Amino acid sequence: MTPPPPEPDSADKRKPRDRAGPHVTRRNLMIAGAAGGGIIAIWALMPRDYPVPLSAGEAEHAFNAWIKVGRDGVVTVAVPELEMGQGSTTLFPRIAAQELGADWRQVAVEPAAISAAYADPVLAARWSGLWSASWLGSANRLGLADDPDDYLVERHAETERLMATAEGTGIAAYEMKLREAAAAVRTVLAMAAAERWDVNFEECTAEAGFITHQDKSLRFGELVDEAARLTPPDPVPLRPDPASATMPELTGNAALGEAGYFVRLDAPSKVDGSYPFAADIRIPDLVYAATAHGPLADSELDSFDADANDGAARRVIGYLGRVEGPGWLACVATSQWAAEKALGLMKPRFRPGRALPDDARIQSALDQAMAEGAPEVIHQRADPLPALQGMGVTEASYSFAPQIHGTIETASATARIMDGRLSLWMATQAPGAARRAAAEALGIPESDVVVLPVGAGGSFDARLEVAIAREVAAIAFAIGRPVQLTYSRWQEHLRALPLPPARIDCRALVGQRGTIRAWHSRIARPAAARQMHARLDEGLRPEAAMEAASGLVDPPALMGHAPPYAIPELLVDCVPADIGVPVGRLRGNGEIHPCFAAECFVDEVARANGEEPLSFRVAMLGDNPRLFACLQGAAQIAGWDGGSDGSSQGLACWQMADPAGRPEGGGYIAVIANARLGSSEAGGGVEVSSLSAHVDIGRIIDYDLALQQIEGGLLYGMALALGMAVGFDGGLVRERTLGALNLPQLSRMPEISVAFADSLAPPFDPGEIGVVAAPPAIANALRAATGSRYRTMPIRVSASQLAPANPPQQADAAADAALEPAAEDAAPDSAAPAYDEPVELPDGSMAR
Amino acid sequence: MTRFTVNDRPVQFLMDPETPLLWALRDAANLTGTKYGCGNGDCGACMVIIDGEAIRSCLVSIAEVEGRFVTTIEALSGDRSHPLQQAMVAEGAIQCGFCTPGFVMAGAALLARNPRAGREEIAQAVRNLCPCGAGPRIIRAIERAGRAMRRRENLESLPAPGIDPAEAAQVVPAISAASPEPTESEP
Repeated sequence: MTPPPPEPDSADKRKPRDRAGPHVTRRNLMIAGAAGGGIIAIWALMPRDYPVPLSAGEAEHAFNAWIKVGRDGVVTVAVPELEMGQGSTTLFPRIAAQELGADWRQVAVEPAAISAAYADPVLAARWSGLWSASWLGSANRLGLADDPDDYLVERHAETERLMATAEGTGIAAYEMKLREAAAAVRTVLAMAAAERWDVNFEECTAEAGFITHQDKSLRFGELVDEAARLTPPDPVPLRPDPASATMPELTGNAALGEAGYFVRLDAPSKVDGSYPFAADIRIPDLVYAATAHGPLADSELDSFDADANDGAARRVIGYLGRVEGPGWLACVATSQWAAEKALGLMKPRFRPGRALPDDARIQSALDQAMAEGAPEVIHQRADPLPALQGMGVTEASYSFAPQIHGTIETASATARIMDGRLSLWMATQAPGAARRAAAEALGIPESDVVVLPVGAGGSFDARLEVAIAREVAAIAFAIGRPVQLTYSRWQEHLRALPLPPARIDCRALVGQRGTIRAWHSRIARPAAARQMHARLDEGLRPEAAMEAASGLVDPPALMGHAPPYAIPELLVDCVPADIGVPVGRLRGNGEIHPCFAAECFVDEVARANGEEPLSFRVAMLGDNPRLFACLQGAAQIAGWDGGSDGSSQGLACWQMADPAGRPEGGGYIAVIANARLGSSEAGGGVEVSSLSAHVDIGRIIDYDLALQQIEGGLLYGMALALGMAVGFDGGLVRERTLGALNLPQLSRMPEISVAFADSLAPPFDPGEIGVVAAPPAIANALRAATGSRYRTMPIRVSASQLAPANPPQQADAAADAALEPAAEDAAPDSAAPAYDEPVELPDGSMAR
Repeated sequence: MTRFTVNDRPVQFLMDPETPLLWALRDAANLTGTKYGCGNGDCGACMVIIDGEAIRSCLVSIAEVEGRFVTTIEALSGDRSHPLQQAMVAEGAIQCGFCTPGFVMAGAALLARNPRAGREEIAQAVRNLCPCGAGPRIIRAIERAGRAMRRRENLESLPAPGIDPAEAAQVVPAISAASPEPTESEP
């Protein structure tokens, strides 16, 4: 048995503040430089031309960071975002192929290496509020803005090689870069052909993989050697912007036949199981590792029964050895199952270093924050507070449980150390952070770590976490063989960093025009984005990151949007809550809770004032034609019946800001759900029979990918509305199995109808907007169907609320009344305003 | 004993007989299309067909499979030509793809029994999970594959695995078989 590595993670044991101290990084140098006013010069002097990070094979040329073309005609496109089902390995190549004029069947993909060439300035700008709190206290002095075109933001993205698949920034960050790269290749190919034919290259066209001039044409592959020696003009001529693919038939170019259809490039290999996920990597000498961890409470490995039961663990067939790490124990064997079996027999015990996560503590922390915390303003228009001190105010409180991702794939990584260099196969949304974590674990330079990205089985932002990179690197080093570490389902849940639990209190007052005049909502929750930043950018453990973000509020852009209504007096604020559980990110992120609370609450206010939910919303839209069209569209698809009592329809709408901050961008959606309580015979729970959505995501690059993301997003939202919550018993997650997350099976699939707006606004990522809008639509539908208001997420239905197996006849009013909810979490709508005459408010204005 | 047939080849696994079939397939036979997701039968990603029946391979030991015929996703068709494989791609029912092999195996076993299976029967028989939210499309794909098996509909074939440029060149004009040496312009 090889001894464990020499305290590879020892840096982690120090306090976070210590770590930042003597540790000299480029960042520290830049801050030091800023103090002396030299920062601009330093950045400006850094190279802006990077070596082409694509390595070309023998018979191909890498024309730039994005595109290679082989003599056989195969066009390879580098993809900087992790494929996790959203279709990045189809979407980005498609952008390049259309601009290039390639036949889709000649297009191949490869994951982009970690390089400044793929830095994402849109994400850098979006996350700039996070840097300013943690390491750039002087951000304002530096002029670091949240504008992706800002020079310093762009340079920061490049120097830090900020590449992460997050926040839906990919299209905004990379579409134009890809088009320019493809146009450059198309131009030099045309120039090479024009030279041969002695014509003007501007008169040549590129289509279906050929450069053509009148009756002459040549394959791309026949031109690459000459084209590689040519320099394209600057700027390169771009084709006209592609049309929005709002209809299935526009998904491809029918005139080109098979060449024009953009089928998912990853589908064929996924349908026969040959697509390699991280746990599918097979290399010579590979062995398998299982790890056990303690609770997320700075747990350290305390003891284990290496030799108990007569050394039973060591007698497991295939057992090879064990590795002790900071906070974990690993067993290594010739199969994953043998590794798990040996680990189980060793019965590892852990010693927590801080208070254990606990349901009661989470709840009291949220309640205490709400009662006593100092709020930070997130959005404000005028001051609603005076008006909200008067009579006629509607109030409600919403609570959100911690929820985890529910991926089918558990975290997995494969590591091989050869000649002092580490190769790391893993699905990661943050490859730079994964590389740094692995390098730190082994005490080797980052340049000696190669991250080989593989697709993720789901993720939903779970693969923004990189802790497994440290573990697998340390195990491979200790055991001296290539090793594959796969978390068991239980470890996946134990180590998952959940969407933070939260509480949102809402108050609103309806004004004389019958619309909401004053709105105040306050959210209590921990700063999940700041914690993520401390983990990814500063390399802290989850518990240390939680401590670093304690008492802080996430930047407004990452906190979710204000309600999408023209409410004259509006205040949304946030109080930080120290809940004692490290938290993370989950598809939909900061928008999930504000959307649920706001859209349920608008429904409550409408009902309390006797208004119909759709027209109530429309009356408050102000100048928002895109959201108006979504509401109208959804009502039409679903056959909106007004959502009155006895209906089973519920409505919700939402808008999300463009990640690059363009006012003409952004995403808009309206969703109508049909839902009711299931019969107790059918196992109970909530039955969602349909979800209808009208969506405006600007110009659509790929119709079917967008549709898959909206459909999948709505269903993921439904899963969040009805399950995926975790609780904590003795510091451990109670939900140990996938089944405990209550993911919907095929028998619970609703009918889904989606329509897209025909828009030429900047494309908006379709991945999250369906997730956030579905849950309130479902809760509002249940209100219509049952008369009860559901103010928790996930929605909890107690057995007494379930309809009996044989529902009573409609005429049987008495029986209906007996079914009125007596449930713990369900409550009647907030009382309607208890006055008839206009009431004067403290600020002198009148309420109806 | 741990002798049985995997994808028409007789094998014997020199492993602990209690090893779940899943791990023998993945770690000893390198048949990694069968996925681990939960270990307790919740997800169905490890579905294989044993003597015609869809079985979760995480729930049976290699001892229990003794003497039986196991088919994994790798050998369902071998060249992606099973109607359900074609229908899954045609319906766009694949996102991250991790659950896909399990769904295909469960659906293929159902269709082999009853190519007329409708929505209800599919939902009852195929109890796999897809958190990406492709569920409604998967139901449609299974129904469509059933129609194709009953010759009510034709499905487009998928590119077979391992096509080299020479083969692709026969279909795709933009690809050439030869990889010529660099030359100056040709007439």
